[in-house]
Amino acid sequence: MTDAAPAVFVALEQSSFAAAIRQSLWLYPAANIGHIVSLTFFAGAVAVMDVRLLGGLAATSPACLLARARSFAVAALVGMALTGCVLFSAEASHLALNPAFQLKATLVAAGLINVAIYEVWAKRAVERLAPGASMPARAKVAGVLSLGIWVAVAACGRSIAYF
Amino acid sequence: MMRSVILLSAFALLTSAAFAHHGWGSYDASKPVTVAGPIMTSKFENPHATITVRGNDKVWTVTLAPPSRMSSRGATEKVVAVGQNVSAYGYPSTVEKDEMRAERITVNGKTYEMR
Repeated sequence: MTDAAPAVFVALEQSSFAAAIRQSLWLYPAANIGHIVSLTFFAGAVAVMDVRLLGGLAATSPACLLARARSFAVAALVGMALTGCVLFSAEASHLALNPAFQLKATLVAAGLINVAIYEVWAKRAVERLAPGASMPARAKVAGVLSLGIWVAVAACGRSIAYF
Repeated sequence: MMRSVILLSAFALLTSAAFAHHGWGSYDASKPVTVAGPIMTSKFENPHATITVRGNDKVWTVTLAPPSRMSSRGATEKVVAVGQNVSAYGYPSTVEKDEMRAERITVNGKTYEMR
């Protein structure tokens, strides 16, 4: 525990919830495994969506493929958020000050903003398209940003242990 | 499609350096130390159990293994409880002052591997 962190993170780490996570033999490792398994599903679903937005898998209907992949991505994102909260709580004060974690949190926010912009600005145009039709530039931009951001999030996550 | 594959490969290459093993980079394996003495404090907690040990000249913080691994090897919470005499062989931290990471510990004549 470090007192240099904002009080809210110190309090979270000192909570009985966080103590229970640290003291359980299986809870922390289980959350760790759940986080990685959710990540693999998320990465797979996001890759399918991004490749489609970039013009790959052109024979498929964008609306059908994206809707299917999106349900996997949302479920996996919920899994990562829940397991991530468990992992974060156990070491909240250190993680709040960890530069790799700070960058990761910023990138997660950027990734979600990218999703929101896509949903408002590009989704309708994309899901009207027939199989084989070329993608609008705004869809390609969203796809490239998504790939870059989420891969960087994963890299930052693994880097937390080294900073 | 080809462009997507190239893009994915480029991202994989750019980020692969970050996927190193969760190693011992911040511990100096060329200067192993053995700290022997009574355990002053003990935290049998995730992600790594830690104890503080009163050595000859100073109090060391000794980072051990995850509690699940320690338990399965017999190094339970009782083995590393406050007051036990421990001998810890490991490597000093290059970042944290007076901290070391144990390769193995010996308590009551029994040695437990931490890796």
